[in-house]
Amino acid sequence: MTSPRALDIAGLQQELARVGYIADASLAAALLLMRDLARPLLLEGDAGVGKTEVAKALAEINRTRLIRLQCYEGLDAHSAMYEWNYQRQLLAIKLLEHDERSGAKDLAQREQDIFSERYLLKRPLLEAISGERPPVLLIDEIDRADAAFEAYLLELLSDFQITIPELGTVRATSRPLVVITSNGTRELSDALRRRCLYQYIDYPDYEKELAIVRKKAPEAEAKLAQQIVAFVQAVRRMELQKKPGVAETLDWTAALLRLEISTIDIDGAERIMDTLSALIKTRDDRVAFPREVVARLAAAS
Amino acid sequence: MGAGPAMRAAERLARFPGFLRANGFGIAGGDAVQALRAAERTGVLDRDVLRWSLKALLCHRGDEWQRFDELFDAWFLPANRWQRPERRESADGSQSDAHPGGSREGDKADDEDLRPRRAASREEVLSSADFSALAEREHALEIEALMRRLARQLKRIRLRREMRAHRGRRLDLPGTIRRSVASGGTPFHLLWRNQRSERPRLVLLIDVSRSMVLYSFFYLRLARALASELGDVHSFIFHTRVTEVSQALHDADPWRAQERLHLIAQGWAGGTRIGESLAQFNREHAPRVVHGRTAVLVLSDGYDTGEPRQLSDALAQLRRRARRLVWINPLSNRPGYAPTCQGMQAAMPHLDLLAPGGDLASLRAVLPNLIETLH
Repeated sequence: MTSPRALDIAGLQQELARVGYIADASLAAALLLMRDLARPLLLEGDAGVGKTEVAKALAEINRTRLIRLQCYEGLDAHSAMYEWNYQRQLLAIKLLEHDERSGAKDLAQREQDIFSERYLLKRPLLEAISGERPPVLLIDEIDRADAAFEAYLLELLSDFQITIPELGTVRATSRPLVVITSNGTRELSDALRRRCLYQYIDYPDYEKELAIVRKKAPEAEAKLAQQIVAFVQAVRRMELQKKPGVAETLDWTAALLRLEISTIDIDGAERIMDTLSALIKTRDDRVAFPREVVARLAAAS
Repeated sequence: MGAGPAMRAAERLARFPGFLRANGFGIAGGDAVQALRAAERTGVLDRDVLRWSLKALLCHRGDEWQRFDELFDAWFLPANRWQRPERRESADGSQSDAHPGGSREGDKADDEDLRPRRAASREEVLSSADFSALAEREHALEIEALMRRLARQLKRIRLRREMRAHRGRRLDLPGTIRRSVASGGTPFHLLWRNQRSERPRLVLLIDVSRSMVLYSFFYLRLARALASELGDVHSFIFHTRVTEVSQALHDADPWRAQERLHLIAQGWAGGTRIGESLAQFNREHAPRVVHGRTAVLVLSDGYDTGEPRQLSDALAQLRRRARRLVWINPLSNRPGYAPTCQGMQAAMPHLDLLAPGGDLASLRAVLPNLIETLH
């Protein structure tokens, strides 16, 4: 017995796969719920598990724009929303000054002109709510921004309006699908967590990662893809400072293909060593991969 | 079959968020309604669909995510009768409190204005008393209040530092021009840009092994006070393995916080393996919580039953990541102390500072300097 919802979930998974994203059923279920309840989706997980990709795929299957706000330390709410185009405003003022005929009467009119939408530069948050079609708004690595910004964002996400002192309140003409990612470097506020649907994304298991490699790097032969994934999965089980993410797996696959390495085995260990920089990104971790270890992993793959 | 089973299903569903809350989930009041609304869309017959949907809706953090499936099964699968989690009765808290109303008094003492004047001399006595001698509950509460105060002092240092850092002379051009629009493009008022600097962070690694039992109690309170005043503080406890306790310490209810910590520390094997614990910390937590402005404080007596070699390696690795690596040893202000035990010997070369921490006065000597250097 399959419920209609289960069919929806399977359908969404297929659609995501079509645009190149392999999603768990639980993620697909969350995406559907996000649409039903009009809530943002908070994605957590280690760097490199494909959190950002979710938003990209979501935009693609909805055939809508992806608006991305990359958070960073010191990002203030203002620069994430809008800015006045000062240069143009100044130019307008200077032009008006030389315009002798305009009397003092329409001073107010002139001022209004200068603070009109013509001189407004939209930044991601304003852009996301003022389009005609609802876009996907990706707020990337929110843990990098500070708590004040988070509070501001929360307000935007509940009211969907932005107040510009000189211009008034801009109401959302469309409600974006909001995807928020966090790498967990800072504890997010409970209020934000409560607003959002939640999804923890883990490193993919063997089957899923194989599907991803087959999808993204179809030129790798089935046998090689299996070996690559087995190798990477074994590497992740090791004690490393920085475990390779899915992007690293794909980079490494590309590197192997480029060097025309068609199989991973003990004899090729030397050549594999040369490509490891695509997979292992810190010096300490690199030390953990002498030739013997690589050979052993290669033999087991 | 009619409305009966469906009704029961709806009721069961509506009570599920409460069950999660009893199991430590951060569930808000409106979540039950949300769960019903979500179930309306998804249907309740397909267990997996319901599971995935409720998981996205009712989990808010990673640890909840990991525990959800088990609780879902316990609640919804007919084969298993769910077990009522042990509830913390409100009477329980006051019972274990030997002095009635003790915690309330503690809160009051916390408020500086309400402190009686004679407290100063008493404070001095308490400050220099070794933690291990303060077994009485009354003392514990007072110490906690003093720690709060220390944390607030540290906060002031930090704010002062930040303000000074902000007084950089960098022109805020967009701001200046924006202002000048009012004066026809002539910049009368110059605006200066605040220089935002990355906030410093503290990471506390607290040894809770048996030999530390008289001290770790106070260190956990210190961690709690620091976290509530300074904000960016991450706390971990270890003896044979390491566990993050920031969340548990964050609990607004001090009794529940204590209970959660108790649960976390339960069932650990004896012995102290500092090296192994720190290595685990490096592996699982350091990439996330330790950045270039982090001071890592290890609070331990250094009695390590593991390999000294491992401890030394782990500290070396930690040293490379962090801005400061400080070891606070409660024993080191005892007369005649020398860091001779194997653990301390292995640790010494990698530390920026080995500081005593057996009493409040010595903590007061170390922490302000540490905060100052982080900016």
